[in-house]
Amino acid sequence: MPVRVAESSAPSQVSGAHSEESSPPICSLLTVGQAFSGTQNVSNLQKEEAWRVNVRIQGCDLEHGYLCGTMEALNVPMADTPVVTFWEGEIVDAKNYTFYTGKWEATPEDDIRHWTKFPSFAPLLSRVEADGGKSLDLSNYPYIFMRWKEQYFVNVGTDCGLTIAGFYYVCFSCSDGSINGFYYDPNSSPFQKLELKCANEGRSGFSFSSYELQ
Amino acid sequence: MPTTTASAVCTTVGNNILLRLTSGERDVKLKALRELKNQIIGNRTKKLSFLKLGAVPAVAGILSDAVSAVDVADNDENDRIVKDIIVQSAAVLGSFACGFEAGVRAVLDAGADILIQRGCLVEEMPLLKSYMEVVDAGARSLKMIYQSKMAPKYDFLQEENMEFLLSLLNNESENVSGLGASIISHSCKTSLEQKLLFDAGVLKRLTSLLGGSLIQRDASLESIATIFKNNPEVVSQFVGPDTGRTLSCIIEIVKDRFARTRLLASLCLIVIRNASPCYLQDVGIKTKLINNLLELLDDPGRVGDEASFAFSSLIAEKEDMQKLAFEVNGVDKLYNHLQKGSLHPRRFEGILLALADMCSKLECCRSRCLSLQVLKLVVDALAHDSSDVRSAACMCLRSVSRSIKNLSAGSFMNETIVIPLVRLLDDTSTAVQVAALGAISNIVVDFTTRRSTFIRLGGVKLLVQLSKSMDSTIRLNALRALRNLIFLAEDKCKEEIFMELTASLLASLICDPEPSVQEQALALVRNLVDGRINSVEYIFAEDGIILDAVGRQLRIASKAEIEIQGMYVLGNVATGKESHKEAVMDQLLLRAENKAQSCIIKFLQSNDSRLRTAAVWAVLNLTCSSSPGSSGRLVKLHDAGIVSHVKNMVNDPCLDVKLRVKTALEQFNSFDDSLASTSCLQFLTVRAVGELSHVVDPSSKIPCDSISNSCYVYVTDFCVIYSHVANSINSQCL
Repeated sequence: MPVRVAESSAPSQVSGAHSEESSPPICSLLTVGQAFSGTQNVSNLQKEEAWRVNVRIQGCDLEHGYLCGTMEALNVPMADTPVVTFWEGEIVDAKNYTFYTGKWEATPEDDIRHWTKFPSFAPLLSRVEADGGKSLDLSNYPYIFMRWKEQYFVNVGTDCGLTIAGFYYVCFSCSDGSINGFYYDPNSSPFQKLELKCANEGRSGFSFSSYELQ
Repeated sequence: MPTTTASAVCTTVGNNILLRLTSGERDVKLKALRELKNQIIGNRTKKLSFLKLGAVPAVAGILSDAVSAVDVADNDENDRIVKDIIVQSAAVLGSFACGFEAGVRAVLDAGADILIQRGCLVEEMPLLKSYMEVVDAGARSLKMIYQSKMAPKYDFLQEENMEFLLSLLNNESENVSGLGASIISHSCKTSLEQKLLFDAGVLKRLTSLLGGSLIQRDASLESIATIFKNNPEVVSQFVGPDTGRTLSCIIEIVKDRFARTRLLASLCLIVIRNASPCYLQDVGIKTKLINNLLELLDDPGRVGDEASFAFSSLIAEKEDMQKLAFEVNGVDKLYNHLQKGSLHPRRFEGILLALADMCSKLECCRSRCLSLQVLKLVVDALAHDSSDVRSAACMCLRSVSRSIKNLSAGSFMNETIVIPLVRLLDDTSTAVQVAALGAISNIVVDFTTRRSTFIRLGGVKLLVQLSKSMDSTIRLNALRALRNLIFLAEDKCKEEIFMELTASLLASLICDPEPSVQEQALALVRNLVDGRINSVEYIFAEDGIILDAVGRQLRIASKAEIEIQGMYVLGNVATGKESHKEAVMDQLLLRAENKAQSCIIKFLQSNDSRLRTAAVWAVLNLTCSSSPGSSGRLVKLHDAGIVSHVKNMVNDPCLDVKLRVKTALEQFNSFDDSLASTSCLQFLTVRAVGELSHVVDPSSKIPCDSISNSCYVYVTDFCVIYSHVANSINSQCL
């Protein structure tokens, strides 16, 4: 979520070890159209603050380890309306992306420090420290690890006083569609937490729609 | 002062020549032939004029007479004139056929191709065979004929034909061997023919011709490419000690000083690579090919026109090649050519298709296109006179609009793009309509609120009209666009689309004769009933004909893609109100003819994990803990054997299915206790109803007189009974 002025950059592909077997599973709760809602804790030393957040997945290309969508932050104090941003995600699949970010001012130490905050990462730690997780088989692991990087503001100008300099380390639970994340930006308060649950938007159960690009 | 017109002069001259062609004097005839040849060479207009005057049959007649007049015992002078007449008449006929389709037709109609073949090349003419001029003239003429698509098909299966072909290839004359190669390039179409030619050993000769003259080299390159095209078997048999040399030879020729030769060499390598990707994997060669073709675009003639098509065949569907091409600024180079303007339609088409291929898989290429403002030129091309150019422009737009990032930003949903595209939905060419539908399918995936632009510009009306087309390809692609348009659409937008579509049309499309149309129609309905909960009502419009159609298709379908979409429709409806869920239950529990069990059981057992997932979601949604009727539905699902099938899937090999099944079982377990008490209460209720004198209305309260304290029993479908007992219940009542 927006913190302070900086330049955004698009995720780039990192060629890593290719393994057909170790791509994350296709999870029906992490598909286009799915909505998630929850909060982001934006507390700092001065005050406690949390924004309500809604996320919707708009694009998904598992072959390239790519995901994208929008993030809407409500009750943002410096904004009159909800602030919507467009983000792009890198899925850690040992094929396209590893656990090491390699950009956005995140060092391998930063990476490990953040990933270890997810309990589901613990069993993977030793392998990740050894080779970035390239040799991991994540195909049957019920969690999907990602990095989400906001690219631009959808409904407000860049002069709104908010920024999208950092990125999120994200852990998605395939079991119940819950999302946990930690925002990373060297210039802002550390470990701002994002907690989302899969939203069924007033329905009793989960509804799925889809599109197919030609 | 009136003067004679130019065409009148031509006609006079032409008539004069033709008159002299009929002369009995061989010298006069020969001179007329030479004049005719000089008149028509490189001159299309004159070719047409002489064609209309009947020159071709006349010259064919002369050729025939001359061939018949050949006499080995004749003296040298007569022999020379006959030979010259044959040479000149063959040359005239060849010239008529050169790059002039009407000329080819006339030559073939006159049987001149056979005449030339027999007269100039056949072994039985020992006299003529010693005259290379005759042989060469015949070969040159036939080659021109064989450059045309209208040339007769050469039958390689006939043994004597194959022998003749080999004799041509083995001839020292570049025109004769070139003819042999041309015949192969023109007529070899099937894999059987490719195999026959390969087995006959033509490749050895063709390879040696690579070191010959320019004509031989070019002809050989084309023939080699023809023999290998799309035939991995023949390519794999090519493996041997000679392979490396041939390939190296062709790779060298890629650097030839003649543009056409460079193009043909590149095409040859591309054909080999496409047929058998294990060859030519070296990055250096790949880059060389890419750079070569991009440079060839600079050629102002036909080579430049064709270079982009060759480039497309090199990179199409191959991400690694597209990446390499991007790294050598392929997008920019193609764009620079586009910018030149006033392009020949063939060149324009080729460059647009090359850009479409560049952007087919890589976001970096699409981004580059967008930053260069390529779309401006592409949109202009949507209104081009040539249908091939219009089609190519749509394909380019389709590729670029695969950029989800830009779809999210609504980059394409503006009048500049939408208006000319929508116009193409009414194009006279079906191919253009289909191409436009492809682009529109992507552009309407819009996450902003700009879908209304498309609707306002009449897009929906046209799409719905096209979904009723007799042509199933058009129907299918129109539905694809509508499906994408409805994805996450706002209520008002959905309403407008549904009003245009109507429930009856949707129901009939779900039952379309084409399975792929059925699939898209179901996917459309799936999207239609998603979103706000009131969207579910659409499926119940017109007495629920859509829902009935969905249920019917599920019971009879055998294609997984249809079943998946159908199950998601039902699964989505099952997230609605109680009545919606019950309607889904009715559909699921209806048996198909001769089927002992619900179709959902078949889906739960499918090999396709996507179908298993969809089926489990439907069960999950029907038994959602927050819904009051869920436990009752669970009992019904249990009685239908569905619950036990789900339980058996606890170790499903697909993680997604396994996780959904786990959730389902947790849901089932939450009802277990109430299931047990429900069974007991069901039994007791029946007894109670029997005891009581009142007729039981399933949803009514039953005051039980003989109960000592107040006891109100609510009965709902005899499945769930909520009872409130103030004191102990009188055993007589119960």
